[in-house]
Order: sequence, then C-alpha cells, then structure tokens
Amino acid sequence: MFRTLGIEWMKIKNYRTFWILLAITIICIPAFNYTVYDLMDNSFPKIRGKSIFGSPFAFPDVWLTVSWNSSLLFIIPAILIITLTTNEFSYRTHRQNIIDGWSRIQFISIKLVEVFILSILMTLIVFLTTLYFGGIANKLPQGVGLLSNTQYLFYFFVQMISYSTIAFLIAVFIRRAGLSMGIFFVYMVLEQFVVSYLRNKYKMNWVDYLPEEVTDRLLPQPYTQKVLNSPAAIETWHHHIPIYLGIAAVYLTVYCSITIWRFTKADL
Amino acid sequence: MKAVLQLDNITKYYGRIKALDDVSFEVPEGSVYGILGPNGSGKTTLLGIVTDVLKATAGKYSWFESAPSEEQRKLLGTLLETPNFYHYLSGERNLQIAAAIKERGRDDIPRVLELVRLSARKKSKFSTYSLGMKQRLAIASCLLGDPPVLVFDEPTNGLDPAGIAEIRQLIRQLAGEGKTIVLASHLLDEVEKVCSHVAILQKGKLITAGNVNEVLVNEELVEVAAEDLVQLENVIREMKGVRQVRKNENVLQVFFENGRISLSDMNRYCFEKGIVLNHLTLRKKSLESKFIELTNNVSN
Repeated sequence: MFRTLGIEWMKIKNYRTFWILLAITIICIPAFNYTVYDLMDNSFPKIRGKSIFGSPFAFPDVWLTVSWNSSLLFIIPAILIITLTTNEFSYRTHRQNIIDGWSRIQFISIKLVEVFILSILMTLIVFLTTLYFGGIANKLPQGVGLLSNTQYLFYFFVQMISYSTIAFLIAVFIRRAGLSMGIFFVYMVLEQFVVSYLRNKYKMNWVDYLPEEVTDRLLPQPYTQKVLNSPAAIETWHHHIPIYLGIAAVYLTVYCSITIWRFTKADL
Repeated sequence: MKAVLQLDNITKYYGRIKALDDVSFEVPEGSVYGILGPNGSGKTTLLGIVTDVLKATAGKYSWFESAPSEEQRKLLGTLLETPNFYHYLSGERNLQIAAAIKERGRDDIPRVLELVRLSARKKSKFSTYSLGMKQRLAIASCLLGDPPVLVFDEPTNGLDPAGIAEIRQLIRQLAGEGKTIVLASHLLDEVEKVCSHVAILQKGKLITAGNVNEVLVNEELVEVAAEDLVQLENVIREMKGVRQVRKNENVLQVFFENGRISLSDMNRYCFEKGIVLNHLTLRKKSLESKFIELTNNVSN
C-alpha cells in the first residue's frame, strides 16, 4: 500500500491546485472559528460581563464548538476530493494507470485511503485549532481535563469522512468536476430541506437517520443547546450516539462498496 | 509458435450497439500484428478489452497463454487511443509515475526520452506539448523498461510526415529485436509497411486474419483489348487459371486464380486462338481496392 501511496504522492506533490485548496482548508478552519469567537465576544449583549451564550470556546465545550463550526466548512475538502478524482477521469489517467499495471481495485482503494488521510488531516487541524481557542478563552477550569469532551473530535472525523466519501462516490459516477460539485452541494442542501420539512410538518423522526443528518446529529449546534434543550433531551441524545455511529458506519460501508463496485465493473 | 495474445469469441455491446461480434484470433510471439479497419470498426474497443479498461460482454482473452492479470500488463507497453498524462506535470515526471506503476526503475527514462527526441523538453509541462510531442511521450512511456510486447493504437496519429516515418522505422527496429507488436490502424499502407500479420475488422466483425502477404496480397490483373471484345471475352473465359473477367469501357480486366500471369503467355494464347490483341497491360490492384473489396463483401 505504501508503494501505491507513494505514486499518489508523486501525482499531487507538484499539483498547485491541490496545495492551494489544502492551504485554504488549513487557513479557513482557524479563521472561521476566530470570526465566530470574535462575534461571540463582541457582538452580543453580556450579563455581568459574561456572554449570553456562556463560554462555548472554553474547555471543555470548545471541543464541540470548534468541531461544529469546522463541520460547516465541509465543502472545501469535498472540492479537493472531487478535483483530485475527476482529474483522473478528465486526463484519462485512470485508464493509463490500469493499462500500465495497476488493478482496478488497487486504483480505487488508494483513492479511498486518500479520502481517509484527508479526513484525518482535517481532524488534526480541528484538534490544533481547538487547543488554541480553548487556550485563549480561559484557563482550564478546576476538575476539567484538557481532553475531556474530545469525543466531539471523533464525531467530527466521522462526519468529515462520511461527507468526503459521498463526494468521492459522486465524482466516480459523474466524472466531471463542475457537475460533481453541483450535485454534491445540491444533495447536501436538499437533504437538509427534506429533513426539516418532514420532521417539522409531519413529525417523521426517521429522517434523523438519513445519510447526512445521521452524522450531523453527532455534532449538535453548541450555542443554544443548553438553553433550548432540556436536560432530558440532552440525555436522550447521549443514548442515541451509538445508534448514530452504527448507522453512519453502515452508510460508509455502502458508499465504499458502491464506489468500488462501480469502478471495478464499469468500462473506464 | 507460442501465442502472446489469444482472443476467444470476444463480443462487446455498448447498449444495443454491437461493437465487437465474436472476434477470435491469436497473435504469435515475435510478430508485428496489425489490426486494420475503418473508423468505428472496433479496433480500440478490442485493445481496450485486452488492457482491462473495457469489459467484454462475452468471450475471453489471455496474455502469454495464461489468465489476464495486472502483472501481465506490466510486461506490455501500451498506447491506447490518446496519450493520457497529467497535464500539470512535466514529461519526465509523468514518465516517473508510469515507471513506478510498471515497477521499473527511473534509469530508463533518459533513454526513452532520447529515442523519441524529447530530452530537451523533458522539464516542460505536458500541457505545453504539441500533439506530436504528446504522441511521442506516449510512445516513450510504452518503451519504458524495454517490454517484450508493445500495443500501439494509431501510433502515428498527430505526427508530421517525418515523425510518421520515424515511428514506423522504430516499430521495424523493435520488431527486428524480436518484440511482439500489436498495431491498430486504419491506415492500410502503415499496416502493409510494418506488419507481418493482420486482422481486418469491419463493423465489429473479424473479416479475415493471417499473414499480411496472404491477406493483403497485391493482386495483379491484366487489361486486354482487341477488335472484337465479345469474341475476346469468350476466348479468355476458357483460358486456364482465369478467375474473373470484367469489362471496363473498351478493355477487359482479367483476374487470375493465383494472382500472377505472364503477359507473353497471355499474348500467345490469344494469338493461337486467332485474336490479335491491340492492348495488353499488366496492372496492380491497389491495396485500397482490395481492402474495400474485403470489407464490402461483409457489408453486403
């Protein structure tokens, strides 16, 4: 696998667009979090010197806050994955790699490994960003461990790999960069609309288990959750976490299986 | 002789269109095997199947008399349809990727770049190359690691006359070194000039396959004329070895079964039958007309 990964590295290490998109990703995560941090700090009324939203950037809540904020930027790694994948189709190098001696499974597997690595990288950036904002927001409160609530970082990873694999699946089927990005974005927006419409209008709770929503539910919106949700609702959410993770794993397996099936069976 | 490539009843559908219809032939080791056919006859589809970028609907193939695998493809140098490289990388870096996939060292890259006269532009991005340079880089990639078998799909596409001559010379040189070469082309003279064997495809069907000198025999015909063409035709039809007589304006075109005839024998025969010829010419039937004749027979 490392040999194959080395060849993938040869493909991207001199690809300027890749580095630009990666740099945008790396810059956007802390920059976007800083914007929200600044907004919280300066743009809302304070009661006795404290924000009405509490201290979402203080430990241990910062793990959820930064993970949730960063998850809103899912489109950037998706663009990166779609670009890298559809490049192979538009240059027809996916055919040449097979002709030169890779198996189809080898080609598609290493791309999935790249998706995994990129999700790890995103998670690492979120980890460092969280430490930074947690550090500047306050001193660690008494009795709270630095790594308390780091499960949200794992949930961020699950959400990122899930979104990225959907982007990859669309790119493998559609093969064109612009159209793939369009379909990915429309799908993401459309599912949000369907979920909120069916849940609010018809009280259909099964929509919580749709592909995008199930991972979204791992990271609840951090700013108002303590205000709007009752302790019982928060407790119920905690109980549902293993179910969300299990279903997300099933979806992930399905995305990967369909992508592998498509690439190994279709004409290239 | 050992078969490098063997095709057994390969059929391929694109939707309802039958691109290949039960094609079978084998490529002997050391041959330069031409796959000849007009555009859309299925040549590239056939090569796509044997290089695993397309899936056959039915039938099977084997390389080196064993089931196809990616390890076998590493022993081939293949140019399929168009040069496929990363546009943002230089020619040299593209060859490094190809060499890595083929599990061959980088040491051979300078040699193959020199062979196709691209050493001076090796650092330039692929996107800046002309069509001919792209084609030459693809040929260089095929030659990486000196593979025993080369598969070329229209290798002279986009090349200028000098480039075409160079590539043909290179193919002859490679054949001289004992390499097996599979060459798909719609250019008859290309196949005739460089191939030892040929398979002719028309609308996905294999019309004929075999030694190029047998399939594309440069058949001779004799044109004759006399005062009385009717009498001449009757006499000639009785002549031994005559396969076909066709009237073409004021002359008769005579085809012989073995494809060869001596003009003096013909003249003597007519004279002995009391006919004085006023026109006697030996003509060669063009390869084009032979090819059209073969392909028309199938369409009809």
